Amino acid sequence: MISVKNLHKYFGKLEVLKGVNLEVKEKEVVVVIGPSGSGKSTFLRCLNKLEEPNDGEIVIDGIPLSSDTNVNAIRREVGMVFQRFNLFPHMTALENIALSPQIVRKLKKDEAVAVGLELLRKVGLSEKAYEYPERLSGGQQQRVAIARALAMKPKIMLFDEPTSALDPEMVGEVLAVMKDLAQEGMTMVVVSHEMGFAREVGDRVIFMDEGVIMEAGTPEALFNRPQNLRTKAFLSKIL
Amino acid sequence: MVIDWSVAIRSLPILLKGAVITLELTAGAVAMGVVIGMFMALARLSKRWPLRAFATAYIDFLRGTPLLVQIFLVYFAAPQLFHFQPPDKYPYIAGILAMGLNSGAYIAEIFRAGIQSIDRGQSEAARSLGMTQAQALRYIILPQAIKRVIPPLGNEFIAMLKDSSLVAVIAMEELFYSGKLIVGNTLQSFPIYGTVALIYLAMTMTISRILGVVERRLGKSDIR
Repeated sequence: MISVKNLHKYFGKLEVLKGVNLEVKEKEVVVVIGPSGSGKSTFLRCLNKLEEPNDGEIVIDGIPLSSDTNVNAIRREVGMVFQRFNLFPHMTALENIALSPQIVRKLKKDEAVAVGLELLRKVGLSEKAYEYPERLSGGQQQRVAIARALAMKPKIMLFDEPTSALDPEMVGEVLAVMKDLAQEGMTMVVVSHEMGFAREVGDRVIFMDEGVIMEAGTPEALFNRPQNLRTKAFLSKIL
Repeated sequence: MVIDWSVAIRSLPILLKGAVITLELTAGAVAMGVVIGMFMALARLSKRWPLRAFATAYIDFLRGTPLLVQIFLVYFAAPQLFHFQPPDKYPYIAGILAMGLNSGAYIAEIFRAGIQSIDRGQSEAARSLGMTQAQALRYIILPQAIKRVIPPLGNEFIAMLKDSSLVAVIAMEELFYSGKLIVGNTLQSFPIYGTVALIYLAMTMTISRILGVVERRLGKSDIR
């Protein structure tokens, strides 16, 4: 589903990604962990071209991402959820969700609204359809953001630290939605430090540091028997 | 010369007529400025360098030269350059044109700042949903930016209203020019120019009050 070979990314002279290789199979849930500045968010953002890689090869669902690929076509298939939600503040929850199906997928308005209401029900926020984002808690906003990404019927979902900006009591509700999604067979790449989630839902955990993948394995193996010294050091700090 | 306030009172209808022309000029100029400003702001933020260069040159020239000189350029120099006989209403047209071109440059900067003030996450979210850059601009960025530019746009309107007195130099009968004519006939400088000043003040104060109300309304529904 996702194939990444030798991915390099520079910010000016700083090399943030130093040759990342990764294959993600359909329906797989990959959790990416690592210290801040390790390049994990940049890596994720390269997967839907919010960042332009300097070198390497990315193939999404059989389509190579090169400079002349239609980037909007890729983004339609790859949903993204951000750390800071990025809901559109001038639209209600429902409008946030129903907008892009209308203007990108060319759905009729009532069809898009039906999709939106269904997704709100799915994330447990039916009663908040007509609220503006400012009236929602962080957890609710993030659930709307997930629904908004799902409205495009993506084949892959990327999550960039989806619970890091949330108050602790709201983390659970967002993770529950993500877990449902994983169980429905969504292909997911999740940058997150939620170990419970990684253990329970993740098929594979990847430890990134200094712009490369240092270690990868099943959650059980990586958390309980880390091989790499840096992985050990990092896990000892956060577990 | 004895100060004669009755002249001011008798002149009030003429002065108010001038004030209406002043408002017309200003409204026309700002309307034109909004159209030019929107185009120039987008050109300045464009990825295409010729557009950027054109907008930058336009903005630099109109902000870097005096409005008075620009008025003369439009009123006297343009007919010479383009070989046309100025029509009867030319002072009016030239006044709006010069002020509109000028305010277009300032409004372009207001719009640019408004667009750039919107969090980058907004356009990233829009783009990640598959929207094109144009769609992101139209549905996500501009609706939010417009709310933010209304207060500075109001200030630009007030500044233009005051600067419109400059078109008196091309015999445009707006408020200040009307006052000047009356002073020429009656020599009552203080009552007339004083009244002219008060009329300007009444207009600017009214507009800034209205702005204050609008701003408070917008503030209520603003988020970040």
